Amino acid sequence: MEVSNPYLDNDVRVVNTGCCHDCGGRCVLKAHVKDGQVIRLESDTGEDPQIRACMRGRAYRQRLYSPDRLQYPLRRVGRKGAGKFERVSWDEALNEVAGKLKYVKETYGNASILLLASGGNQGMLHGPLPVGAMLQEFGGFTRTWGIASYEGAMYASMATYGTIRTGNSREDLLNSKMVILWGWNPAVTIQDPGTSLMLARVREKGIKIVAVDPRYTDSAATFASQWIPIRPGTDSAVLIAMAYVILKENLQDQAFIDQHTVGIEKYKDYLFGVDDGVQKNPQWAESISKVPAEVIAKLAREYALVKPAALIAGWGPARAAFGEQYSRAANVLTAITGNIGVSGGYAAGFMRAYSSREFSHKKVVVRPDQAKPKRTGNPVEDGASPRKYSLHKLYGGTNPNGARIHNAKAFDAILRGKAGGYPADIKLGYVVASNCLNQNPNTRRGEAALAALDFMVVHEQFMTPTARFADIVLPVNTFMERSDIAPPWLGSPYYIYLNKAVDSLYEAKSDLDICRELAQKLNISPMMFAFTEDEILQGIAAGRDDIPDYGAMQRDGVLKIRLDEPVVSFKEQIEDPGKASFPTLSGKIEIYCEHLAEMGDPSVPPVPRYMPHAESHDASLAKKYPLQLITPHDKKRAHSTWHNVPWCREIEPHVVRINAVDARDRGIRDNDMVDLFNDRGRVRIRARVTERIMPGVVELTQGAWYAPDEKGVDQGGCANVLTRDDVSPGGAHPMNSALVQVEAFSQD
Amino acid sequence: MTQMGFYFNQTRCTGCHTCRVACKDWHNLQSEGVNWMQIETIEKGTFPHLFLAFMAVPCYQCETPACMVACPVDAISKRAADGIVVVDPDICLGREKCAQTPCLKACRSRVPQFGPEDNAKMQKCDFCMERLDQGQQPVCVEACPMFALEIGHLSDLRQKYGNTREAPGFNHSLKIKPAVVFTPKPEVYS
Repeated sequence: MEVSNPYLDNDVRVVNTGCCHDCGGRCVLKAHVKDGQVIRLESDTGEDPQIRACMRGRAYRQRLYSPDRLQYPLRRVGRKGAGKFERVSWDEALNEVAGKLKYVKETYGNASILLLASGGNQGMLHGPLPVGAMLQEFGGFTRTWGIASYEGAMYASMATYGTIRTGNSREDLLNSKMVILWGWNPAVTIQDPGTSLMLARVREKGIKIVAVDPRYTDSAATFASQWIPIRPGTDSAVLIAMAYVILKENLQDQAFIDQHTVGIEKYKDYLFGVDDGVQKNPQWAESISKVPAEVIAKLAREYALVKPAALIAGWGPARAAFGEQYSRAANVLTAITGNIGVSGGYAAGFMRAYSSREFSHKKVVVRPDQAKPKRTGNPVEDGASPRKYSLHKLYGGTNPNGARIHNAKAFDAILRGKAGGYPADIKLGYVVASNCLNQNPNTRRGEAALAALDFMVVHEQFMTPTARFADIVLPVNTFMERSDIAPPWLGSPYYIYLNKAVDSLYEAKSDLDICRELAQKLNISPMMFAFTEDEILQGIAAGRDDIPDYGAMQRDGVLKIRLDEPVVSFKEQIEDPGKASFPTLSGKIEIYCEHLAEMGDPSVPPVPRYMPHAESHDASLAKKYPLQLITPHDKKRAHSTWHNVPWCREIEPHVVRINAVDARDRGIRDNDMVDLFNDRGRVRIRARVTERIMPGVVELTQGAWYAPDEKGVDQGGCANVLTRDDVSPGGAHPMNSALVQVEAFSQD
Repeated sequence: MTQMGFYFNQTRCTGCHTCRVACKDWHNLQSEGVNWMQIETIEKGTFPHLFLAFMAVPCYQCETPACMVACPVDAISKRAADGIVVVDPDICLGREKCAQTPCLKACRSRVPQFGPEDNAKMQKCDFCMERLDQGQQPVCVEACPMFALEIGHLSDLRQKYGNTREAPGFNHSLKIKPAVVFTPKPEVYS
């Protein structure tokens, strides 16, 4: 859809589209198109709230027109990973993919086909959806479960509340008396556009904002009046000690607890050491977290008494070993202070407010006893029993199907298969919208795994570290070259309609068109493929109750939904408990979770606990690798997307950040080359000596592309060379639980 | 003469670089290192007592531009109508021919810049004159997700935002009189 051109050159048409990769936003972009080329961009200039694109979106022309864009299908000619390919025709490439799919299906069965899909290039239509539809029709496939960003937070949200719809609208933060940003840096991670602006307005209103984080982040520096540095992996200890203070000093909202929760006594048993003789007091938490006991006690009292208060528990600290315990501890803290279901409060949890990512905004509360076992439609998954530790009695959250392989274990599953306890022997990898070698933990093990596959096909826009291992690489277009619909992550009430701005570049095709052609070669006809792109998008829109006018959304490029009042999750349950209950087994907020208790496994305790692990700060391994690595988002990229865009890269070089004390101990000066390593791998990179990270912690932002030299040393700065390919029982990826050492690098 | 000026609410800036990149896109500044809008990071203090701020550096369209005074061939001038400092590429000698490029040394904010091409002509921020002429805001202002920037008549900006001419990362100069108003970030340490 085009609008009349208000600009100088009257041969420019303006196409309303939007930015759509895997950050927390989805933002308005207006592409100025001249002679079939995007010549410049604007963002939202329309009515409030404006959904303004960030630096990444504004830099999109350099990604769209990058000289590195994949132009035609490629077949590997060198060894896997070497990056040597030859040009082939679409017909040749798809024949080969179809042939391999058929061969693997006939020889090993459909379960040997592993779909490695992610959100790197994904709208509501394009991305993994058509690939899944195709493989399902083909007889099924093995898929992964576990999202690196938030699986721990999601598990904890389900265990506590029975739902992931726990957030309040951002504007409701203006009704808070205090806001805690726990491991949350939306200035970089976005977490819905407008979040940072809202936090600025909260600060300007005089509302106190506290940041708890090992780093003095851009968000901490811009919004918070108090920064509490905390040792990575110990967030649950501090949250637990806050609960201790509140309950010990009788500051809890007892009426709320009595009315809306179950299990406070069991939690008290843990807090006051009835279980294990250990008082979970601030002194206990200080010794673990390095947060002074008096700071913990003061924060606890303030949070309990200054009502309402919003504890926003970011997903980062849950991307850790036992990350779900941190999220559980945060959720429970919001409950015992009665900050749930009230304006200005916040239930922590998964934090979705509006439902634009779900099928409908209408709240379908399904009581667990009414929930029916979900068929996934994937024949490979039919009849599989629920996965160990899954919250399979609940409706919603992560699909508990036991035929799925955890994302962090995909490489291990490829290497070990059924003999290693996995549901299938994997032979063929189908990769779409995913740079899994780079973004899954333990890159070097990933190299071995991808090299071990009989065949791998990758849909890609660039020759990523993952694509280098493909047998066939299929060039995919970008959102500028197709139409789609995109909602933000956490449910701000809007949709972006992405109108195709330019024709596909070179020989690139959409994921949908690739699968259409491939389906023909596989002699299958998935129902989805009988429809045009526009018909499918209309169908997606028609199935929802908050898109009244598809044509208007398409014309405007954005649909901003006007709510009568800001979303306050659980308002119904709190205001009228007789009428509404929580979709948990007990119908209440579960401080003590019966579903977890039934598992009878100490690694999934029914009340939140602090649990050390093999790479805790005080693990025996810390003698050898004394620094804790954290791998947060980088403002230059969204995960590994935009890594290769010069306008973004020129912000600053990719570096490892290290505190001045740790640097001095190692003879490292700012800008020196250093080696960052552990038993899993070694990264050679420049050091940024900074005061903005606490001693004992180093930061290597995730997403930079893996680039091993001939000795296997990564010169690209890929954080996952150092992370553990392990999984917490609740599914949290331990990306922020890796011990490392740093040494000055010298040429000799 | 009317003097256009720049307003920067430093308390809101998260250092996201959206303004810088929106500018590069709009003006098609493909070269790395050429930035008509620059973002400076100011970090002070020792863990855990820190101060962090950002400074947005377009051209502040000084009332007496040092670059203009320094130019040996009078290629730099102030527009009579609005005081925007512009460079005439037809008069500018270019980086190699000018040899001294005194405009570079004259401006303490490194606003005058040269691309990588042979004998590149000086280029700089011009407040998106062509957008202003169309009644639009400059692209940086329209891009800022924090609504921290504004460009307008300096007298209006002073009336609206006060007369603070300094902020962490920027010292005022009476000699050149940069046309800028700040809401500075208080230098409070964490």
